Amino acid sequence: MALIRLLVIVFSILLLPTVSIASEWQIVPSKSSIHFKATQNNAPITGEFKTFSGDIDFDKNDLSKSYVNMVVNTDSVSTSFKDVQDALKTADWFDSKAFPKAVFTANDFKKTGDNTFEANGKLTLRDKTLPLILHFTLEKYTDNEALVSGHTNLKRTAFEVGKGEWASTKEIKDDVEVNFTIESTKKLTAEKK
Amino acid sequence: MIFKNTENRFGIIAIVLHWIMAILMIGLTALGLYMVRVPISLHKLQYYGWHKEWGILVLMLVIVRFTWRLRNQIPALDGLEKWESLAAHAVHWAFYFFMFALPITGWLITSSADLPVSFFGFFTLPNLVSASEANRVLFSTIHEWLGYALIATFCMHSLAALKHHFINKDKIMRRMLWP
Repeated sequence: MALIRLLVIVFSILLLPTVSIASEWQIVPSKSSIHFKATQNNAPITGEFKTFSGDIDFDKNDLSKSYVNMVVNTDSVSTSFKDVQDALKTADWFDSKAFPKAVFTANDFKKTGDNTFEANGKLTLRDKTLPLILHFTLEKYTDNEALVSGHTNLKRTAFEVGKGEWASTKEIKDDVEVNFTIESTKKLTAEKK
Repeated sequence: MIFKNTENRFGIIAIVLHWIMAILMIGLTALGLYMVRVPISLHKLQYYGWHKEWGILVLMLVIVRFTWRLRNQIPALDGLEKWESLAAHAVHWAFYFFMFALPITGWLITSSADLPVSFFGFFTLPNLVSASEANRVLFSTIHEWLGYALIATFCMHSLAALKHHFINKDKIMRRMLWP
């Protein structure tokens, strides 16, 4: 009897990882992008962040165990006009030296349509952490590949991106739209389960 | 008051267009020379915004002005030497060239920097070319030298006009003041 109980416990422990691990995804940087669109002098200005990484633990059938932690290198901000790019890295804007990383984390996911979801999380930009909702669509979702595209909107001044005179929202509007495409493949470790 | 030009007089339309564009272009040139020297700041951004939208207004107005010119006779330059008359016409055509070339090269700069222009918030102009740092530098250089050439042409034109008024005491300048 004692032996059987022991075997049950041992097997339960062995089986545990298979049950609890949701899909872990590895971002493919060459096929992923994070773009932003702001407004200067009433006209659009666009740019992107070239370097980012993340832990994605997403299972469309088990949202409760899904989790995302994206880290964006603020120093990788890129715009067509180099003067703008350089300005964005300075202390008044992203202050890449003092705040090299912007982090978005979420573990609260909601299904909003057939392949559309919402991630309720928090964004840390500079030294401000505020709630942020990402809206995204699963463009592709197979056993070992996923393609997600999505967007969010934020107020730059809430994060003090554009300090001092730049806090004026007449010349550069407060609203910033962020669009992202994340392609990922399933991590080997997850496949081993 | 006459609207259209006659054989020896400018109509009110030509006169008004002349002076509106003169004021705009003098202002834009002064602003342009100043704004490029200002370090990156909110003011610099404002100045560039103004320079772009008012510059586009010049492009719109020159289309109207050029159309008006083609549909009107040009008052004769009476009492001028052959070379003076040729010089006056050359300067006028140079101005038309600048009135088109300066806004268009400006539009090309802002297009290659991927910083589109909003026309006073009414609409946003499409980019004429895709973003390119090499092209931005090229168009900026062309725009800058066109600006210097405009200043030189402006000096010739206004000195000649003043000479006609104060030295020759003829009607050449006065006829651009009132129809």
